[in-house]
Amino acid sequence: MQDLTQLLLNGLSTGAVYALFALGYTLVFSVLGVINFAHGAVFTLGAYFTYFLIGGAAGANGLLAGLQLPFALPFWLALPLAGLGAAAVALLIERTAFAPLRQRNADPLLALITSLGAGVVLVNLIQLLVGAESYAIPTGALAGLPAAVRIGGAQVRSVQLLLLLVAAVLLTLLTLWIDGTRSGKGLRAVSEDPTTARLLGIPSDRMIQIAFGLSGFLAGIAGGLVGLSVSIAGPYFGIGYGLKGLGVLVLGGLGSVPGAVLGGLIIGLAEACVPADLSGYRDVVAYGFLFVVLLVRPQGLLGRVLPSKV
Amino acid sequence: MQPQRLALAALALLAAGGVVSSCSRQRGDQLRLGAGIALTGNAGLLGQDARTGLDLAQGHYADRAPGLELQLEDTGSDEAGATVAFRRLINAKPVAILGPSLSQQGFAVMPMADRAGIPVIGVSTTAEGIPQIGPFVARVASPVTVVAPLSLAKAVQLHPGIQRVAVFFAQDDAFCTSETQIFQRAIRAKGLELVAVQRTSVSDTDFHIPITNVLRSRPQLVVISALVSDGGNLVRQLRELGYSGPIVAGNGLNTPNIYPVCQRHCDGLMITQAYNPKLDNASNRTLLAGFRRGRAADAVPPQVTAQAFTAYQVVHEALATLKGSLPQGTTLTSLPLPELRQRLLKTLLAGTYQTPLGQLRFTPEGDVLQRDFSVARVQMNPDGRSGRFVQLP
Amino acid sequence: MDALLIDASLLQQMLIGALLGISVYLPLRCGQLSLATPGFYAIGGTLAALLSTRVDALGGAEPVYPLSSVLLEMLLAAALAGGLAVGIGRVVLRLRGVYLAIATIALVEILRVTTLNQESLGGAVGIFGIPQPFLDPQGYALFTLIALALVCWLCDRLERQRLGRAMEAIRDDELAAACQGIDTDRTKLVAFVLSAVVAAITGVISAHFLNSWNARLGNFDASITTLAFVVFGGSRTWAGPVIGGLTLTALPELLRPIGDLRLIVFGLVILVGPLLLPQGLITPERLRLIRGLLHRGAKP
Repeated sequence: MQDLTQLLLNGLSTGAVYALFALGYTLVFSVLGVINFAHGAVFTLGAYFTYFLIGGAAGANGLLAGLQLPFALPFWLALPLAGLGAAAVALLIERTAFAPLRQRNADPLLALITSLGAGVVLVNLIQLLVGAESYAIPTGALAGLPAAVRIGGAQVRSVQLLLLLVAAVLLTLLTLWIDGTRSGKGLRAVSEDPTTARLLGIPSDRMIQIAFGLSGFLAGIAGGLVGLSVSIAGPYFGIGYGLKGLGVLVLGGLGSVPGAVLGGLIIGLAEACVPADLSGYRDVVAYGFLFVVLLVRPQGLLGRVLPSKV
Repeated sequence: MQPQRLALAALALLAAGGVVSSCSRQRGDQLRLGAGIALTGNAGLLGQDARTGLDLAQGHYADRAPGLELQLEDTGSDEAGATVAFRRLINAKPVAILGPSLSQQGFAVMPMADRAGIPVIGVSTTAEGIPQIGPFVARVASPVTVVAPLSLAKAVQLHPGIQRVAVFFAQDDAFCTSETQIFQRAIRAKGLELVAVQRTSVSDTDFHIPITNVLRSRPQLVVISALVSDGGNLVRQLRELGYSGPIVAGNGLNTPNIYPVCQRHCDGLMITQAYNPKLDNASNRTLLAGFRRGRAADAVPPQVTAQAFTAYQVVHEALATLKGSLPQGTTLTSLPLPELRQRLLKTLLAGTYQTPLGQLRFTPEGDVLQRDFSVARVQMNPDGRSGRFVQLP
Repeated sequence: MDALLIDASLLQQMLIGALLGISVYLPLRCGQLSLATPGFYAIGGTLAALLSTRVDALGGAEPVYPLSSVLLEMLLAAALAGGLAVGIGRVVLRLRGVYLAIATIALVEILRVTTLNQESLGGAVGIFGIPQPFLDPQGYALFTLIALALVCWLCDRLERQRLGRAMEAIRDDELAAACQGIDTDRTKLVAFVLSAVVAAITGVISAHFLNSWNARLGNFDASITTLAFVVFGGSRTWAGPVIGGLTLTALPELLRPIGDLRLIVFGLVILVGPLLLPQGLITPERLRLIRGLLHRGAKP
């Protein structure tokens, strides 16, 4: 029982990060039908923003060596602000890497490359400015919370629980927004049929920007939380999550919000179940799973069937 | 014109460019020293610390003959990057090459320098088998076979009741896999019980699952072979998830760069030191004085900074000795480059050096013989962001 | 100044880039976005590394590794990769668009992690000291140039034949192509298998050139970079990926003099490239234009 609780909590907290990541992909995919490869870099930026907003100083190896903001915010305030900063970057990526292609009616495949280019620029810009070193959000950022708590005999870090909680809240808000507001419904309309949506007077450009902003916000929050949990391991640290997020995205179904969450939790749990002596194969389990699902149900667990021409 | 001919013509043009560029210049009065270290990628920190050491050495030896022009190339953190950087260095016709940063890269590129007949001196490549790559390969970093068991022995000495030991190692790094073999051999040799061996990856930062798996086997000592960002996170998460016993870490974590990663949880980490900042000799005083310029007055250089300084010093001193042994009127640059390299290697391996790492000599194979080691315990300051390595008696 | 010129080892890497570009291009010519190239590249490389270091009969102990052994490795790698591609292709080519891309990424990752965990395949540390058939990069570059020229020539033949035109038809409209009586499944499979063979052969050359080999050489980054070769160069004719592979491999190295800025500039190039040249650098029209100009230039 104790082992099961431990496994469940580990799996869910890992899965929550994957889910937040995949949600960002899925929002963009649902309106544009392409994958934003710069998403991992936005996640990374969210973590750095959080670090600097709570008063962290830049290390010795970048152009900004020793730089520190004149103020230090508490973590709970820094995190949403970092999310907003990440959202702004995501909008900038939309302007530079996606919008020009749309205006020219270019092959959507090209967005894979332009967004990859944007990601490469961002990652290396981070390295240029603040160096390649690890940055850790101080363990004291969650003042007042113990490092870990015991739940049903299982040992869980408070950060893991916080991650789960924030992911759950964001997801609920997102679902409410999509189902309950005009702009949320507009987003859905654009994702289902852009042409008709435009005829109905829903501004698709605006919806695309909303999708990018939201995806950036989610990525920024996820980055900040993961930064708090496992520290920022340098400018490349979002890449591994980016790849997993991609798997989660397909597992759940491209463009499906509940699918992204379900996919995240499944992969998180599957990874938690790998026994210690086979731990080297942990990634294989996730991708193997993904592969089988793709073959049996190409549209993903909760995805819609796409038209045959992509 | 057929398209393939068009492409072939373009390629031929490129090939011609290649031939032209391999004719490189060499300034008459100065010798060139190549250095290939990892300034970017996941080992970037290690390389940036090494660069500090090289810069300090270069500043110190700038006005001492023979003049050395340092050509620094970024190897990145993988073998492909190292291969490109080393080909560049080899083409630049240096008298010797320092580097690369990682043993994993060393196995790939040291044979290239060896085949080219260029002495190549490893700065932080400590894996087993590096000097055996070839006659021109040497290193100033003491081998893991010597270094690793010391910290384990210290831990057992300080905590006599230890029976159950768990091991973590980064499976995708040549150095870590080599080091863990030494650790595991030493653990068995001491009659301890190896209760868990957990593989991790240098690109991992989230270790909740492996840690809870390992803690189920109730270890009394944890031994970690990993690099900075993965290893630091591993230590921190181990502590936060309730492990309170001693932790022995390998050379990958032997740097102040772990402080920001594991913060106050770095406290108590035991690591063997090849560099003792308290050492009192001329070259260590030079290193400390140079390093503290622009830093805190009690700042301590990382081990790899001292090793990089040492590598430069050893080459410079060997060249000076060689110069002294030449007949009157001949200069180093008047020797044909292959012969100069041969004789540099011979002189270098025969010498004894007073370096920041203490007194160094070399085996005929090129492995370093270092006298002084110590085991340090990491002691973090109350702010949880800074700390120091305290040598254990 | 001399940093702007290209040395033979960089040329070699550029040629490898061009070959990998062709491997990604082949399935893309029939509209299939397969990112399996690094996987087959890794299979070829691992096979060559294992054979040349562990099978003494191939001549690994000799001072110069026999060229015939390299050719034999290439043959075996092509057979192995081709065989695997027939099996895998039958399964994954049922998927379309992004799904195919992600399924192939998953396959590459599965292969990579499995190799990492199998000591017998070199494990995480890899295989070192691979015997050298050439003592200098010029030799490698010449050998690879010949291999590339051969592959280009075959691609050129292919594009003029029924099969090549069938591939193009599938890319433009798969349903219409099927209606015209094109066996779409078989055509796609052939492209996939050819892609695998080219990647595996490239892996063999690369393993010797790099003189060490490990599983990380075929990772996700490689998938995306090779795709960038094709998109940047153009995916309508084989010359596109060749030019794309050559330039994009050279770029980060040529930019070395600007130091820390080089990868930023590289990123900008692949960000801006497709915006300025949505069809890629080389399109059939431009190729014809260049050819025409050269013809006129060649005449007195």
